[in-house]
Parts: sequence; C-alpha cells; structure tokens
Amino acid sequence: MMDLLEPAQQAFHLLFAGDPELWQIIFISLRVSVTAMLVITPFAIAAGFFLATVPFPGRRALVILVQGLLASPTVVVGLLLYLLLSRAGPFGDWRLLFTPEAMMIGQGIIAFPVLVAFTLSAVQSADPRTHDTAVSLGAGTTHAALTTLLEVRFGVMAAIFNAFGRVFSEVGCSLMVGGNILGLTRNIPTAIALETSKGEFAQGIALGFVLMLTALGVNYALAFMQGEGGLK
Amino acid sequence: MNGPLLRIEGVRKSYGSRLILDVDCLELHAGESYVVTGDNGVGKSTLLRILAGLESAQVAKYLFEGYSVSLENYPRELRREIIYVHQHPYLFKTSITGNIAYGLKARGVPKLQRETLVKEAMDWAGVANLDHVPPQKLSGGEKQRVALARAKVLNPKLFLLDEPTANLDAEARRQTIELIQRLCLGNNCVLIACHDYELINLPHMRRMALAEGQLVPQVEASQEQAG
Repeated sequence: MMDLLEPAQQAFHLLFAGDPELWQIIFISLRVSVTAMLVITPFAIAAGFFLATVPFPGRRALVILVQGLLASPTVVVGLLLYLLLSRAGPFGDWRLLFTPEAMMIGQGIIAFPVLVAFTLSAVQSADPRTHDTAVSLGAGTTHAALTTLLEVRFGVMAAIFNAFGRVFSEVGCSLMVGGNILGLTRNIPTAIALETSKGEFAQGIALGFVLMLTALGVNYALAFMQGEGGLK
Repeated sequence: MNGPLLRIEGVRKSYGSRLILDVDCLELHAGESYVVTGDNGVGKSTLLRILAGLESAQVAKYLFEGYSVSLENYPRELRREIIYVHQHPYLFKTSITGNIAYGLKARGVPKLQRETLVKEAMDWAGVANLDHVPPQKLSGGEKQRVALARAKVLNPKLFLLDEPTANLDAEARRQTIELIQRLCLGNNCVLIACHDYELINLPHMRRMALAEGQLVPQVEASQEQAG
C-alpha cells in the first residue's frame, strides 16, 4: 500500500510555507469559479423563477431538458465549447480558447442547469399565498418575484451551493478549454490531475485539501448569509 | 363623491363545467361595511379574490370610483386601494415590523414616516409586544391581527376580509372581531366573507348571501331586533 503520510506532511508544508505556485493555482481556481457564478447566477435564478411561474407551451419539455442537463458530463460541455472557440469554430475570432474566460464560460454553462433546476424546485415549493400577499399589498411584478425568492431563499441558496460545488471541482471542461497553462489557466482540479499523473502526490494532496477546504469555506459563508432559513 | 366606490356587473366564474359565480351586480359604498355569507365552497372567497384582481373571471363591467377596470390588466394603482386579507394570512419570513412595513415600502413611503405608521398600526392591532417573535411562531389569532395591521397601515379604500375569524379560539376571535369593528367605524369600505354570527350582526353591517352563484341582499338583523 502506498504511504500517504509523507506526501500529506509535504502537502501541509507546501501550504503553510506559502508556496507561490500553489497559491496562484488556488487564486485562479477561485477567480474563475466565483466570476462564472457571479455572472450566471442572476440569469439562471430568473430563468428558474420564470419556468416555475409562467405557463407557456413546451414548458414541461423545457423543464425535463433542464433536469436532464444536470447530468451532462463536464467533458462534453468542454468538447462542445472547444469546437465553438477553436480557430476553425464559429467563435474562433474571439481568441478565447485556453484563456480563463473560456473556463468561466464553460463553468457558467455547467452551473446554469443546476441553478435553474434547483431554483425551479424551490419556487414551486413556495407557499402559493406568498405571491398573492405581495401583489395584494401593492408589490409590482419584480418586487413580488423577489419577495417569493426571498421566502424560498433556503432552496435558492441550495441551488447556489450545488452549482458552485459542481463548477469548483470540475476538471473536464477546464482542462479542455483552459489547457492547464501554469499561471494562466491551471486551477486546482486540473493541477491535481497533472500532479497525480506525474507522481507528485504531495502537491496533489495539498491541492485536494485546499479544494475541499475552500468548497467548505464558501458553503459556510453562503450558509451564514442564508441565516436560519427553513431550519425549524 | 356620490356614486358607489365599486360597482361590478355580470360576474361569471366557472371551474370546468361548474358555474360557481353568476352575480348580476354588486355595489359597494365608501364608509359602509358589508358581509357576504354562504355555505363553504359557494364562491365567497372567489368573489373577493376577483375584486382584488387575484383571480380571473368573466366580468361585464367593473367600475372603481367611476373608472373602468380590466381584470386582465388590473391596474397597479387599484391594488393600492383594495387590500385582500387571506383567511389564513401569510406572513413573510421577516420580522413583524417588516411584514407591516411591506406595503409601505412598495409604495415608496420614506423610512421615518414608515416607522411611525408601522408603530401606530402595531399599537392599533395590539401586537407591539410581539415584535421579537418570529412571524412563523405566532398563533392563528396573532397572525390575523398582524395581517389586519399590515392592511390597515396602507389605509386602502376597500378592505376585503376573507373568513377573518375562521379557526380562531374564543379569545383570538374576540380580539379579531374588536379590531374589525374598529376598522368598520372608519371611512374605508369593508367587505367581509364569513359565517361568524357575531361579525354578521355587527351594527350597521349590510348583509348579503351567496347562494347558487347569486348574491341576495339579506334583511337587516338589527332592524329585525328593533322591530
């Protein structure tokens, strides 16, 4: 059996000695995922709310599609985005391939169905009196919608937790459209994949540790903002 | 203004093939209080919800202060004049103060004025001592009083109260009736859907019954007693 103790000790040493390469990877990871989430979340929540509240022909098919996309492999998203952004692709002129922006777009696409599906479910579970009460008290359409979202904030925050968890730890899309370039597009998951393939377990463990800690830290921060929410 | 505050004609509402409302005409006047009685499921709540623009229906004519109103495109200004209070009021997951201030915020009332009005409304409803309690932990009667304060603070021209005393214990019912009685003494118009004998027999209450979809004026109980 492989000895895990030594690489783990080295991992802690790397982390607490402030290894610049390691911290750069962590920074890139956070920057890409947080930016992708900040940009996509308002649109996705609005789309989820719309799907939950506005009847239109084909809504059911769209809901099934969104729920189906929850299981889409990130590597397939990466492949499609690669084809679109590569020189020969329709958006090749934008020269986004192998940039952090391409990774942000990819992560935004991966997060979108997660956010929509969870928001949809949260809004559908809202008490039907919420909207009527808001409207009857004089709230306009947007104000009433925001009130409903605020009432189901526990569910909406769960949407954000899930989406962030998925994009922060995904490796397939980031590797394909980011290219794993050190100092530019190498994030925690792609770095773990690379270091492990090279046999550099200490770096891999350190990064894995940071990945888990950061994911937990972000979730705790969001949970703090969430307040007591739906907890009884 | 001498005309009615609200006049609605030819109200028809069906659920599937079942016609539940077929009201020829309903007229409400400012400063008056009305009660609609009728069996469960007869359409009292639906009628109130239609007036509040929360439910669609076929309506031949809907006039509010003489102005024509479309249910499909219910004017936002009218939502500010007509407040519907649900049978089981929903309180937002914020403080009681936040609940009562909600409509004032929606109207853009400045913070200082809002605070004064909210305090007055809380005193009026006797819920000032409950401000530290999360709304979800209030009893049914307390929720109803907060909901009445939340409506009263907006000073609408028409209050629509849906079964305000249903499922309340004796003390909560007494407190709620007392509040409604005070509400009815104001210059606003109050329309209540209920079965509550005490509410139905409040002085100066105009009574109607809803049966088989139609509204029928009732004999004034107080006159009967006086006679």
